[in-house]
Amino acid sequence: MKLVSGLAACVLLCAPAAFSKPIAFAHGTTVMAEYGAGTMNEAQIFYAPTFKYSLGLGYLELDSDQNGRKREISYARVNYLVKRWNMESAQANVFTWGSIGNARVSEQRSDVFSWNAGAQIDYETRRVYGSLKTDLNRSSAFSHRVDTLQLGVAPYKHEADSLATWFVVQGRRYTGEIHDGTEWALLLRLFKRGAWVEAGVTQDGKLQAMAMVNF
Amino acid sequence: MKKSTLAAIACALFSAGAPAGTIEMKVYGLVCGFCAQGIEKTLRKNPATADVFVSLENKLVAIGTRDGQDISDADLTKALTDAGYDVKGIARTERSMAEIRTALKAAAK
Repeated sequence: MKLVSGLAACVLLCAPAAFSKPIAFAHGTTVMAEYGAGTMNEAQIFYAPTFKYSLGLGYLELDSDQNGRKREISYARVNYLVKRWNMESAQANVFTWGSIGNARVSEQRSDVFSWNAGAQIDYETRRVYGSLKTDLNRSSAFSHRVDTLQLGVAPYKHEADSLATWFVVQGRRYTGEIHDGTEWALLLRLFKRGAWVEAGVTQDGKLQAMAMVNF
Repeated sequence: MKKSTLAAIACALFSAGAPAGTIEMKVYGLVCGFCAQGIEKTLRKNPATADVFVSLENKLVAIGTRDGQDISDADLTKALTDAGYDVKGIARTERSMAEIRTALKAAAK
């Protein structure tokens, strides 16, 4: 918890902050898939009627590398932009979201109702960025919180129609015996227009990857 | 970017009395290609829009309007605000969209 608090303070006070947003732009559809080092896999599709909120469906799989337990959560979600700051050469956002769904719990071999709440704060320029995201998933059978910090730097400023390249450090912590300690990863992120791919490795040499399309 | 180029852009942005045809807007919050994509998608829905160009470096959104058509400042501001961005200035300029693209690409080199 101290680590998470420290990271949050760093993001809030030291400036850099952003990452993939649950609302890309008004009237936009976002499709995302993430492979998280074997411990967390997620797929989402959202549609944003306005830039303030989006609605969609998702699937989250949590695989414990401590006790072999697995959660498969299917959910319907609402994302909401709480606050946006548009600066001359930067943007910062606070997002929150909530979802309800169904979770398959491996040790019970049954399905239970589950809910989720989360928030993200981010800040980005065309050269630096950072985000801090917290995501809580609960049911009668489990409680897992996933906290993710990303700090990125771009070697050059991209333009609207050119390829953006980012080097990203990611730190992720899980509660509820999914993974012990902080899972660090180094990522290469590339995006151009509505397409986004990133890939890298964790400190254990496991693959961390994500792909996203906005249209 | 050279100071002279910046001055030329600023002059074009805020010069008064230029004929319609090209609208240049200074916009805050432009930091990525997704921003440009969303803005283009919004502005192209307007039937008066013929072309849209976004420059992240210059915080510029330029619109080429169809012959004899214009988009009011209120409608432009609403479109950009509804897309999630802040409009800081709107000007009708004599530069064509091609000239804007060429000038900004040259300035970027």
